[in-house]
Amino acid sequence: MPLDTSAYSLALLRVDGRRWNELRRIHAQIRTQAAADGSSYLEIGHTKVMCVVTGPSEPGSRRGAIGSTGGGVGGGAVGGGAAQSKGAEVAVSIVIAGFSSVDRKRTARGDKRILELQSTISNALAASLHTHLFPHSAINISLHVLSQDGSLLAALINAATLACVDAGIPMTDYVAACTAGSTSTYAANDEAADPLLDLNHQEEQELPGLTVATLGGSDRVAVLVCESRVQVSRLEGMLAVGVDGCKQVREILDRVVREKGRRMVQEGTVEKGVGLNDMDVD
Amino acid sequence: MSDRRRINGPVGATIPPVSEDGASREVAGSRGGRSRPPNAIRKMYLKTGVTPSASGSAYLEIETSGRSGVSGLKLSCTVHGPRSLPRSSPFSPHIILSTHVKYAPFATRQRRGYLRDPSERDLGTHLEAALRGAIIADRWPKSGVDIIVSIIEGDQDRETSKTQGDESWDLMNALSGCITVASAALADAGIDCVDTVAGGVAALVSDKGDASPSIVIDPIPSEHDRILAACCIAYLPTRDEVTNLWFKGDLPASDTELYTKLVEKGIQASAKANRVLVECLGETVG
Amino acid sequence: MASTQHVLLSPAELAYLHAALSLTPPIRPDGRAPAQFRPLVAETGILPGTNGSARICFADGTEAIVGVKAEVERTRLVDGATAGTEWKEGGSARGEGEDDDGGDKAGDSDWVELTVEIPGYRDDDAGTAFLAAMLSEALLADGAFAKRLWINRRFHWKLYLDVLLISPPLSYPLPLLSLTTHLALLATRLPRLKSEGDEDPFFDDDWAAARHLFPRSSSSTTKESARPPVTLLVMAVGNNIIFDPAKEELAVADVALAVSVAEDTTAAATTAATMDLDDAAAPAARSLRLLSIRTIDPPSRLTPPGVPNAANSAYGATTAQKQPEARTAEAEAVEGVWRAPRGGAKPLVMAALVQKVLEKGGVADEILDALDAVDLG
Repeated sequence: MPLDTSAYSLALLRVDGRRWNELRRIHAQIRTQAAADGSSYLEIGHTKVMCVVTGPSEPGSRRGAIGSTGGGVGGGAVGGGAAQSKGAEVAVSIVIAGFSSVDRKRTARGDKRILELQSTISNALAASLHTHLFPHSAINISLHVLSQDGSLLAALINAATLACVDAGIPMTDYVAACTAGSTSTYAANDEAADPLLDLNHQEEQELPGLTVATLGGSDRVAVLVCESRVQVSRLEGMLAVGVDGCKQVREILDRVVREKGRRMVQEGTVEKGVGLNDMDVD
Repeated sequence: MSDRRRINGPVGATIPPVSEDGASREVAGSRGGRSRPPNAIRKMYLKTGVTPSASGSAYLEIETSGRSGVSGLKLSCTVHGPRSLPRSSPFSPHIILSTHVKYAPFATRQRRGYLRDPSERDLGTHLEAALRGAIIADRWPKSGVDIIVSIIEGDQDRETSKTQGDESWDLMNALSGCITVASAALADAGIDCVDTVAGGVAALVSDKGDASPSIVIDPIPSEHDRILAACCIAYLPTRDEVTNLWFKGDLPASDTELYTKLVEKGIQASAKANRVLVECLGETVG
Repeated sequence: MASTQHVLLSPAELAYLHAALSLTPPIRPDGRAPAQFRPLVAETGILPGTNGSARICFADGTEAIVGVKAEVERTRLVDGATAGTEWKEGGSARGEGEDDDGGDKAGDSDWVELTVEIPGYRDDDAGTAFLAAMLSEALLADGAFAKRLWINRRFHWKLYLDVLLISPPLSYPLPLLSLTTHLALLATRLPRLKSEGDEDPFFDDDWAAARHLFPRSSSSTTKESARPPVTLLVMAVGNNIIFDPAKEELAVADVALAVSVAEDTTAAATTAATMDLDDAAAPAARSLRLLSIRTIDPPSRLTPPGVPNAANSAYGATTAQKQPEARTAEAEAVEGVWRAPRGGAKPLVMAALVQKVLEKGGVADEILDALDAVDLG
């Protein structure tokens, strides 16, 4: 079903009724699973992903099973296996469930698109996690896509960040991601095109868009993926909106983590200790 | 996953024309009966040492039902090893079995690809479970053995229409053959086993003529109107132990006697196959 | 794979576990009774984008999600069934077994496709194929399931079941996956058919009007109140029969079986009729059907053996002495020293395991009752 962009200029409302700078509802949970070192569940609109982090742990026993499929990056090491690396290896594996899209589609493990997503996430996280603290070890991040409605990479990055926080892996700051797009197609060559925040599946199909992830509250961009044709003049606006969106996303992620921490202190699961002093626990 | 290494024929099946001469018409009329008594297995031919390059090998052929155009089961098994594991693999205090079961592309009515499909992998897992119980695994630490079974001709009647019989029941017969032939090949390779293990199949069938379902051993699906349940058993006769049990069907749970009987018959079938196996191995030694 | 993954337990630990589990009553590491399942959290209808979905989280943290999707597909008619016309559509050439009279609904096992995803394992791994085959085998065993997917003589539903294990496989995931699949199928709804006869099907847009694939007994006739099967994992250690073993327990199992059972619909219908629809007494009158049994290769066969003091050089046995005696030492079991089990299981033990699963008011009954209580939204 083609997206009708002509209606946008009338009321400045998008297909799902949002304004240009509105995010969809983001709902996140951390520590969803007892068995894992870290886990999270994240929804952006109808995009739903789950993340399970194992590690940092000794690589080896499970390497053979994952090795070939996971996009792994040895933090700080140039070449060589994880055994020689100075930092922990971040191995990401993504499973896209067959039932996640509207039509049932089975995605093979070795799919090139998935491999690219894996290496993007792996690179982004390896840069912000303090992998040098865990030499000769591996951090396995396994992501499950349960439902897809646009902004998949952004959702995956956010979920992986939350799960890493839950796993207690030291990191510089949240890696928060979101997407940005433009109100008219490349072909329309519309000078007055406005940037849009957080594309859904329909918009992603039709409009130019990019995924941007920033390191916490700063303007430092950790990931920038643009797979569509777009006029250079529009790029700057899109990027600015995207970076602004990342800040909003970071606030949301931060709230989720603080809320969970507060509840855990209340329930007595953890003591209010030194590490928690700098959190404003009421 | 598609097979990218070979040039495959176009997809989609064509059915070779079968001319209806007198003989086949007669056959079609006579089909539907089981000529053997219910507790007799088909004749089988077993020979070990057929592949000189392998450490152990065996060939098994199960008799056809004597009609033209009907194939029996033909299996060949090679055993490679025991040999040392690659240096990269972790220490194992036991021998590591890897079993491969593969239908030849031409073995069944429907052409099989070169890559193993899930049902063949499933058969491999069953075979592994059956053999692992028989092998004395701790005599070969740090080593592995490959057991490769090729099903050269599946137990299928080319002339039966597709509606008759169900391929899923054929898997049971194939598995029992795989177990028997692999056991012979293991013995040929000189790998220590607690006993020879053989496969046997028993099924609960209902025929149009009979009022109540009856239990037969070594069933041919096309000979019966309906198979209600079947089980394939790998049995060690001297120890009176079962290493693998695969039951499938639909039985009321209130009547476990039926199930027990079915298993008993399966063991009986397995014991019969074992007699052939032992005799064959005895010939080789003598 | 999953059943035979390496368990990092020493021979001494294995011997201890085995001894504890062979006591009467057995003492399980997590303190459960022999027939007790792990507590679980279950929810259904979690994914609105699917026809049915369910999530189960076991207390030990293993978690699975199953999503069911249905698509309309043309039925491949048996060659020559309708003169001249053939509707062909990929797939295998297996016949459908449809008789000429249209009233006979017949299903084909090709109409259901079940895939299992286990993190860290390839999807064409033998163990994954084994799990998938086991789950679909139970589903299709009675042939009644595929009939539910029949639309008309030309079309049918193709059901895709995607079984996802979210957590790393801590224990053999079979019971978890089976229970989750059961719930997802119970929650599965298909749009209501509006077309009639053999015309191209079209459906009611209203999701609220969609019918359940397995209609609930309260809203429908008792005849239709069938439920999908469940597969239970049961193992034996010594003389004890233990249900739902954890990974450590499976590591010392003498024999492990996966048994699939389903409710007997025909018997339930007759008892209900004689009892004048006395639903309160129905659970007690539930009878089960045995659908499939598979031996699970217990990982205990791959555990490292212990060395008895008599053969241990640290305790005075000299190596020179050991060599010629290696074969005899292997043969005799020493009390308290772990040895991996060899050979198979006695047929009587296997029969006892199956008997235990099927007995009235037993574990299978309990599980089905517990799953009944899950709110299907």
